[in-house]
Amino acid sequence: MTESPIPAPELNPELRSIREFLGECIPFDQLSPAELDRVAALMEIGYHRQGHVFQPHDDGGGLRIMRSGAAELRADNGRLMDRFGEGVSFNLLGLSQEEPDISATLIEDSLLYLLPEEEYQKIRQQHRDFDRFFRSQRSRRVRRAARHEPSPNEMMRRVRDLMTKTLLTVSPEDSIQATARIMTEGRVSSVMVMAGDQLQGIVTDRDLRSRAVAEGLDLTLPVEQIMTREPEVIEADATLFDATLFMTQKGYHHIPVLDQGMVKGIITASDLMLARQDDPVYLVQHIGRQNSVAELKDIVSQMPNLLVQWVKSGIKSSQVGHVLTAISDAVTVRLIELAEDELGEPPVPYCWLGFGSQGRGEQLLGADQDNGLLIDDAVSEQDAKWFETLAHRVSDGLNTCGYVYCPGKVMATTDEWRQSLGGWKATVDRWTRTPTADAVMRVSIFFDLRAVYGDASLCQKLQQHMLKQAGSNTIFLAALAENVLDTPPPLGIFRRFVVEHNGEHRDELNLKKRAVIPIVDIVRIHALANGVTAVNTHDRLAALAKLKALSINDSRNLQDALEVIMQTRVEGQVQHLLTGRKPSNYLNPDELPKLVRKQLRDAFGIVVDAQQAVKLRYRPGL
Amino acid sequence: MSWSFPCLRLQRQLYALRLRGQSADRQAAFTELQRCWQQMQFRTGDCWRDVEFLVVDTETSSLDAGDGELLSAGWVVVRGGRIILSTAEHWLVKPRNGVGHSATIHSLRDCELSEGIEEQELMSHFLTAASGRVLVFHHAPLDLAFLNRISRRLCGAPLLMPVVDTLQVERRSLARRHQPVVNNMLRLASCCARYNLPPARAHNALTDALATAELLLAQVSYKGKNVRLKALI
Repeated sequence: MTESPIPAPELNPELRSIREFLGECIPFDQLSPAELDRVAALMEIGYHRQGHVFQPHDDGGGLRIMRSGAAELRADNGRLMDRFGEGVSFNLLGLSQEEPDISATLIEDSLLYLLPEEEYQKIRQQHRDFDRFFRSQRSRRVRRAARHEPSPNEMMRRVRDLMTKTLLTVSPEDSIQATARIMTEGRVSSVMVMAGDQLQGIVTDRDLRSRAVAEGLDLTLPVEQIMTREPEVIEADATLFDATLFMTQKGYHHIPVLDQGMVKGIITASDLMLARQDDPVYLVQHIGRQNSVAELKDIVSQMPNLLVQWVKSGIKSSQVGHVLTAISDAVTVRLIELAEDELGEPPVPYCWLGFGSQGRGEQLLGADQDNGLLIDDAVSEQDAKWFETLAHRVSDGLNTCGYVYCPGKVMATTDEWRQSLGGWKATVDRWTRTPTADAVMRVSIFFDLRAVYGDASLCQKLQQHMLKQAGSNTIFLAALAENVLDTPPPLGIFRRFVVEHNGEHRDELNLKKRAVIPIVDIVRIHALANGVTAVNTHDRLAALAKLKALSINDSRNLQDALEVIMQTRVEGQVQHLLTGRKPSNYLNPDELPKLVRKQLRDAFGIVVDAQQAVKLRYRPGL
Repeated sequence: MSWSFPCLRLQRQLYALRLRGQSADRQAAFTELQRCWQQMQFRTGDCWRDVEFLVVDTETSSLDAGDGELLSAGWVVVRGGRIILSTAEHWLVKPRNGVGHSATIHSLRDCELSEGIEEQELMSHFLTAASGRVLVFHHAPLDLAFLNRISRRLCGAPLLMPVVDTLQVERRSLARRHQPVVNNMLRLASCCARYNLPPARAHNALTDALATAELLLAQVSYKGKNVRLKALI
């Protein structure tokens, strides 16, 4: 009988299903197929029943991957840290360095893969990406998700989608004059010269002008005398980017489009311009040229469609927030300009303030209006009427356009939110001196302020005053911190993930209230305490890291968590729109892809940690 | 050699006696089989974690060992209560006749199988893997019939090794819970689903061997803490 072979070092090829499964699990998706094979071959499989508890030193450590079933991680005193199911991996030995009392309890019968500790450490040494994921397990995972940029964008659309498909053609023997007539009647600036289905040349307005009229050519001559012979063509599958590049490099304005060797259309420079109509820059400019509320409303009503396009073409959530805010700013500014045209020059300098998500530049669809007026101290009793009228014009206009009245009455139309600089300062003083629950609520809206229109220096002065008052006031900060801790992220929701296949009723999740606002609140309190003037959450986090008020790591973790949550929220709104629903901040976690749920869970974990940090820093001993 | 499994031991001795006067090839093969038997150091009273298992599945051209052939075999080791993936092996066997109609069942076509190994080579790989281990099958009689036929032809004796049949384990545990066995309840996929095991994505001898191994772990974990080998056999 023959010698038995040396056991193969890689996974038996017939077990590709195991490799495929691992390839779908983060961070194994980072490994090359060959590495994946090798790692998969090192796995051992175990089965344990519900209630089984893993301790960090069981089996000498090792990385466990849930193949089926569900588990939860608990730290000291049974504090729940995480719940998860299929595809999630965890290394208790590593986690126990941060949380010494950590253990994992199975909450369903589970099949687990085990990568022995020694091999796990080896892979971490060999693969930077793999290691980075586990060095701080949760935060790193979110980071990867946030850094992942989907491929852009409008310019990657195909020429075939945009080309003019109705072709005007002439024969080479047709006269120059006949050609010009056909072009005039067809209202086109170019025509293709075809012999049968063969493209012979192209004639444009410019050819008629420079090669025929300017030369004094006999207009009864055949058009082939002035056509551009064998023009360059572009494939229907080329991108708009290719076409634009081609035109700018060669100086053409008309390019015939070939599909499977046949002329099927033409694409022109103006087609490419038209394609940019949904470009936010174009839109903002367009808003500035409208002359009535009705016209503005028409433009704003296109926004849901545009949002779908933008997100589909790969614009990231932070950019979406930025763009949507730029549009609501443009609408606000145009409404103010229209009001000023009617009311006449403002009696004294003033500044229109945007608060909340508009202030932070983080608006999405369905945002209500949060605004205020800040008026120079020189304002007189008689002038007040002018500002009140302005406030009503703009606020009503915004409401008509879809930015509905603020249910909490945070609007320039109220006396409280329309004050002189001195009045505002006194209000801020009152709020910070006696931080009632109501005051804290107002402050959290008000402190995210931005000048949308008018004299921005007024806004700066007010902000400086506010930071001076709030930053050193520990009682006020403690009251604000309590507000931060009020809304823990919806970690409890994972109970439902776990039992979903038992058919239990599933609720939806308010991502704005339960995930975005907690982060914004956390970052705001740090910004206030450290005198950071930025209001955008990402900007604030960057500034806090620069001031070393937050570690670079904590700052980036929160930025990434926010990015992941916002991305999910934006994609949720797009999904609502595509299925004919009103865009809301609610979504059903069970409808999310596995990976997104995993990322969200990680992001929530980061928020919990950050809330704990706020508690320690601003409410010690409470 | 272990004193457990007296019945198997007796049969082995009988076959050893019968070997006299057989061809030199067969005697050499029998010696190899004997070496495999001698490695079996476990007893039925051992804790299952201290016993190594070789979980095997085969694919055949017919359900009847009399007229069918073994087409492929896959196996994986369970050691210390865990499936060791690096031990997984999968072999195609060169058929002596064509695959015929069963190709529609197994999706193993003649051209693939012609790249397979000879039965002797398979037997050699198998005995190396089985050495010192308890065999595990789901529905053992079928796979064993084919393996024993090859063993008899090559070594002059059937395998005569202790066997766990996960199908019988499942049947007994259902019976103990007074659950009637209906339809396909004892099929491998149905058994796996009962224990919340992941469904197989593809079927071949090795993936089915792996599924059987997972089923074995699940069945044992439902029997309590210190399960002994005799509770399975």
